[in-house]
Amino acid sequence: MSLDRPTILLADDDPTIADSLAPFLERAGYHVLVVSDGMSALEKAQAHHPELIILDVLMPRMDGRETLRRLRKLNIWTPTILLTQVGEASERALALEEGADDYLNKPFDPHELLARIRAVLRRARPGERSLSVAWLLTANELILDRRARRASLSGETLVLTPKALAVLEYLMTHPDEAVTRERLLDAVWGWEYPAGTRTVDTRMAELRRALDDDPTEPRFIETIPGEGYRFIAPVHGEG
Amino acid sequence: MFNKRWSTYLWYTLPVLVGLILLALAQVFFPIVSPTLSTFDIGIAGFVFGATIRNAGIVAFIVGFVITAIVLLIRSWDQRHISQAQTMYADYLEEAEQKRRHFLRRLDHEIKNPLTGLRAALVNLQEARAADERWQAQQNAGKAVERLTRLLTDLRKIADLDERPIERYSVDVPDLLDDVVDAARAIPAYEGRNISLLIPKVPSPFPMIIGDRDLLLLAVYNLVENALKFTAGDDSVEVRAMEDGKAVVIEVADSGAGIASEDISKIFEELYRGSNARSTEGSGLGLALVHRIAVLHGGGVGVRSSQNEPRGTVFTVRLPRR
Repeated sequence: MSLDRPTILLADDDPTIADSLAPFLERAGYHVLVVSDGMSALEKAQAHHPELIILDVLMPRMDGRETLRRLRKLNIWTPTILLTQVGEASERALALEEGADDYLNKPFDPHELLARIRAVLRRARPGERSLSVAWLLTANELILDRRARRASLSGETLVLTPKALAVLEYLMTHPDEAVTRERLLDAVWGWEYPAGTRTVDTRMAELRRALDDDPTEPRFIETIPGEGYRFIAPVHGEG
Repeated sequence: MFNKRWSTYLWYTLPVLVGLILLALAQVFFPIVSPTLSTFDIGIAGFVFGATIRNAGIVAFIVGFVITAIVLLIRSWDQRHISQAQTMYADYLEEAEQKRRHFLRRLDHEIKNPLTGLRAALVNLQEARAADERWQAQQNAGKAVERLTRLLTDLRKIADLDERPIERYSVDVPDLLDDVVDAARAIPAYEGRNISLLIPKVPSPFPMIIGDRDLLLLAVYNLVENALKFTAGDDSVEVRAMEDGKAVVIEVADSGAGIASEDISKIFEELYRGSNARSTEGSGLGLALVHRIAVLHGGGVGVRSSQNEPRGTVFTVRLPRR
């Protein structure tokens, strides 16, 4: 921490991005350390103990994903946001499974990055593993087994489409956070639809039917009018 | 009727005949398995095999000769087909290469324009003193970035469609079209436009289709948005659903100016812009996406359009019913 400002370690090999994002984040009240490859990110993370790390996936010497794996192996659980460049579904799924707390698809609006940073920092419990790396998530009688891609409610397996399951996974790994429809689209679908918000609502209706969750008296998913959704039940992670 | 002698010949000839037919078939259908087996060998084999059986040699030779002739005929017919296939493959490669060149040229064009706008906007931002000029420059930069983002998003969609499996669940077509029309009516630029949704009452319920609801929504939405883009305020846009026992047919029709006949065959190509679409906003990938999504669902997309009375354009998406 520098001058009581949270420190962010930003690792991106593209100077046009790093040089523009760093002053933007400084203006937003953070102290920013910039590195241009994964190896340097690993060294700086150990030397400076930043509050948050932003890693680009494609970097020289060591890519962002490998850097993240090494950090976790070293038992460094600093909240990390991955900046992905390829919009493939597999890339997004990996980003969730490899211990990133959140991720953003390039190109993104810097304000969206700022919103992610704030949300991740708010959620973070220093030194503790985050929900994003837990394989088993439990919220009251709802259990989500991320490895088996299966959800159950009071012991009964829920019949859900893969998209609805991915929406549930995103919400459960971001509990008590206002998640916009656009954010869900970017995170789960990977690309925005012109009529995408309606697509999100359709999946949410499917999810609520399966969870038997009444939107007027929600136990799990609350609608935030004009904004999006929030997972309101307390979530515990295992594994 | 046959006397005993001839029936004996026939009895001896039968295995020869069967053996020769099998050899001939092997030669025709599995030439690589037995590459050294020639049609001449078949004839000789027929003769030798036939000669080992009493009094059947002549018959076997004739049969072998006839089969050799048949094999030769089939081979020459096959050869013609192979050369035809080779020519078609060469044409296909040439066409694919040409498409790739066209695509790169169009992509270059699609990137160049917003990039030029962006550079101009940045210069204006640096040099302009008046607040309104700077505000305008910012707006223009924002628009250029938006256009590039949309292009990239659509390119990503196309790439994603090729790489990831699509969901296959029951899709309620009237419900899907309802969502599309609602979403289209909510576009601020087309507020108050006349969009009708026509769903037949019979059969009831309307047949389901199997597919990825999100992608199908995107496909029909693209067609409706396209129809709105190329029509004026007093034109009509209709979204219709039909079924013919085998397929569900979704039509998006508009009473707009129509598509020029020289553009019709190319409008589903990636980044192709028709003569009346060059000044219209869009990535140039919308219809290519519709085509790709329809094909991924085992269906197809077609278009009919007229610029003369009665004028208008009808896009038809055919999807196999469940």
